Amino acid sequence: MELKVGNEGRGHWATLLPCVYAAIHYRSISGTFPDHREVNPSWIEYLGVSQAVGVNFMNRRGFLRIVGATGAAALAASCNRANSIAETLSSPTSFARFPEKTEMILLTDRPPQLETPIHYFRQDLTPNEAFFVRWHLEGIPTSVDLRTFRLTVSGHVRQPLQLNIDELRSQFEPTSIVAVNQCSGNSRSFFEPRVPGGQWRHGAVGNAKWTGVPLKSILDRAQVKAGAVDVSFNGPDAPPLPSVADFVKALSIDHARDGEVMIAYAMNDQPLPMVNGFPLRLVVPGWYGTYWVKALSDITVLPQPFSNFWTDKAYRIPSGPNGTESPKDLAKDTIPINRFNVRSIFVRPEPDETVHPRIPNEIEGVAFDSGYGIQRVEVSTDGGTSWADARLDPEIGKYSFRRWRASWTPRNRGRYRLMARAANTVGNTQSKAQWNRSGFMWNVIQQVDVKVA
Amino acid sequence: MSPKANILVLSLGLVALLAGCGHVANTSQQAAHGFAPVKMESMLDSNADSPVHTIVMPHDEPVFPPGPGRDEFVTACVVCHSPRYITMQPRFSRATWLSEVKKMKDVYGAHISDEQALQITDYLFSINGEAGTGKGPKGTYGE
Repeated sequence: MELKVGNEGRGHWATLLPCVYAAIHYRSISGTFPDHREVNPSWIEYLGVSQAVGVNFMNRRGFLRIVGATGAAALAASCNRANSIAETLSSPTSFARFPEKTEMILLTDRPPQLETPIHYFRQDLTPNEAFFVRWHLEGIPTSVDLRTFRLTVSGHVRQPLQLNIDELRSQFEPTSIVAVNQCSGNSRSFFEPRVPGGQWRHGAVGNAKWTGVPLKSILDRAQVKAGAVDVSFNGPDAPPLPSVADFVKALSIDHARDGEVMIAYAMNDQPLPMVNGFPLRLVVPGWYGTYWVKALSDITVLPQPFSNFWTDKAYRIPSGPNGTESPKDLAKDTIPINRFNVRSIFVRPEPDETVHPRIPNEIEGVAFDSGYGIQRVEVSTDGGTSWADARLDPEIGKYSFRRWRASWTPRNRGRYRLMARAANTVGNTQSKAQWNRSGFMWNVIQQVDVKVA
Repeated sequence: MSPKANILVLSLGLVALLAGCGHVANTSQQAAHGFAPVKMESMLDSNADSPVHTIVMPHDEPVFPPGPGRDEFVTACVVCHSPRYITMQPRFSRATWLSEVKKMKDVYGAHISDEQALQITDYLFSINGEAGTGKGPKGTYGE
C-alpha cells in the first residue's frame, strides 16, 4: 500500500510505505487529531522515539491526517522498511522542545538544529523561544557561571581586556538594532538536485531586537594596533575529536569597526536562550548566521588574514552571481559566504491551507535583504502570469523583516499557486532558478499552492 | 542480527557517546571562561536568581535498524553526532553517501579504516539510498 503525503509548497508528492514497529505515542499539534497513535509510519520512527527522557517528538500534521484516514490496520499490512522513506520528504516532520525553547521543528538533536515554524513570523519580532538553533560541534555549552565568565579581547591590541557581563552592561553605552539572522543553508531542502546538509525548509531565519555593545567600542578600548587585518571570534563549543576544527569565524577589521556589528547580551529585551548563545552573541547585521558566533567568549585581533577550516573550506559560495553554479560544472572559484541576498517568505497562507472563495483573504509575508532595504514586493495568485504590488508595512529597520500584505478574493474554487517576489532599493531581485553544491543562499521566488474551497 | 546483538551494539554506542562527552568536558577552554563542564546526568535546571545558568539537554536519539555495516556506523559516526544527521537527509545516491563518509574520514578525521568507510557507506545507502544508484561496481575507497 502506498500513501501519499503532500510536501510543502513544492508540488511534489512523497511516498511513504509505513511500517508498524513499536508502540509510540504521537501528539498532534492541533486539536484535530487524536492524541495518541500506536503506529510507526516509517523506519525513521523505528528509530525509537522515547518519551522517557523528557522530549516530545511529534510527527507532521499531514501524516497524521493520512494515518487518520487510513487506519492502523491498513498500516500494519504494509510493513516494508526498505522502501519506506519519501523521495522528497525525507521524514515526517518531528517536533521537539529543548530547554528554554518552545516546540520547534527538529532537524537534529546532537548538536541541536531546530527550525522555527512559519506561523511565528506573523509577529515582527520572532520570539526567543521559537528562534532557530544551529550548532556545528557536539560539545555545546550548557552551563555558564556569570561570576567567572569573561569576554577576552587579545591579540594585536595594546590593552588586552577581560570583561564580565556587569562591566559590559555598565561601562559601555548600550545600543539596540532590529536585525534578521538567517542560516546560510535556510531553505536548503528546496534545491534540486538535493544537496547534503541540514534539510531546512524556510524557518532557519528570525528577526529580533538585539541589545548590547558595539564591537567598535570594545575594540577601541582594547586599542587595536596599526596593521590589524582581521578579528576572530570564538566560543566554548568544542569539537568531539581533536581532528575536527574548532568553530571560529572572523570579520575584517573594517567590518568589525563599522559601528553596527555588536556584542549582544539581550535578545528581544531578554537574556538569550542558552542554545541561542547565552550570555553573549556576535550580531553581524545583513550577514549570514555563520558569522553570528554564539556564546562568544574570545575576540582576537590579527595582524594577518584569518584562516581556518570553517572559512577556507566550509561556508564558501561560487564567486559568480548569487552564489550559483551548475551541478555539471562546479565553480572553480569560491569565496566565503557573506551578505544576504534579497528574498521573501510567505507567512499566510501556509502551504496546503484552504482559503475561501468570493471573500477577501489576507495574505502576508516577510521580505528582507542585507540592509539596502526592501523597495517592492509583488504577489501573483495565478502562478506567475500576472503580478500586483503588495502593501508594505512601515519599515522597522533596514536590517529587519519588512512585512508585506495583500488582499485576495478568489472567484472560483480550485487549486491556486501563489507567488511573491521582492526587490530591494538597489535593484536586486529574487532568483528564478538557483543551485550550488552546499545549498546556500536560497532566494528563488517562492510558490505556495493553496486550495480554494 | 539477534536482539541480544542489538543491545550489545547499542551499549557500545552509549559507551562511545559517553567517551565523547568526557572529551568535551575535559577541554580546558570551557573551564577558563566560566563555562562549566558538560555533565550528562542528573543536572538540575538553574533557578532565576543563580549566577550559574544551566540547561539540561534532552538526550533522545534514534536507534537504527539492523543491517550490514550498522556496527561500524554506530561506533564511528554516533560518537560525534546524532543519527538524525542521517535521517534528516533525502535518499542519496551511493556516490553521494560515499563522498559524505569520505568527508567525515578525511576532513573531520573520523576514526575509521578505508574498509570501514565502505561498510558504513553500504549501510547508509541500504537505509537511505536512492533507488537505482547502488548497482554496478561499488568501487574502492581510493577512487
